[in-house]
Amino acid sequence: MSRRLKLLVAMGLGIAATAGGAGAALAMYQGDASASLRATGQVGEQADGYLGLVGTAPSDVRAQVDAVNIKRRAFYTDLAGKRGVKIEEVAASTACEIFATRVGPGQYYRLPDGVWRKRDGNTPVPRPTYCG
Amino acid sequence: MKAAILTRMALDARLVVVRGGHLLSAAALPVLLAGCVQVSAPDKPIEINLNINIKQEVVVRLQQDVRDLIKENPGVF
Repeated sequence: MSRRLKLLVAMGLGIAATAGGAGAALAMYQGDASASLRATGQVGEQADGYLGLVGTAPSDVRAQVDAVNIKRRAFYTDLAGKRGVKIEEVAASTACEIFATRVGPGQYYRLPDGVWRKRDGNTPVPRPTYCG
Repeated sequence: MKAAILTRMALDARLVVVRGGHLLSAAALPVLLAGCVQVSAPDKPIEINLNINIKQEVVVRLQQDVRDLIKENPGVF
């Protein structure tokens, strides 16, 4: 598969995932919990595969972030067991994909340098070198 | 047991060679396999550690699984 084709497939999946998220939100409460949290600007995506608080956030936001991260951890643990890799490796690999397809314009992300940055419009979010 | 491990290594090697398109990745496999396994239940508080030690080959190998995971769980991701 060429790099260009891969990119197109990735973009297609990203659009599908976004559309799916929006649909789920209409269908049920909290169906788009992560997207909503990112949209508040108080929460961002981290290179370790978990949501993080950009600054000080109210307790209800913190509770929602914790709830999402617990679910993520469970998914990562499950997949790590299936594939015989470390949980952290599944989590970091997921972050590579999240950075490419789920962090929207104006939303926050955090690379391994620990600094929170805001995505500038439609500029692609920079990713750690191991993302490929 | 040894035969099973060798078979698995052969399969993994083929996968990496096909996807990566070069032979160097295969040389890194023993290292990758040595660092595998160690799964624990999510029973303790989540600690955020941004110093991630991971090889690109592992990211490539997990890519499709990860895409499926995100797609199937839009609320969590």
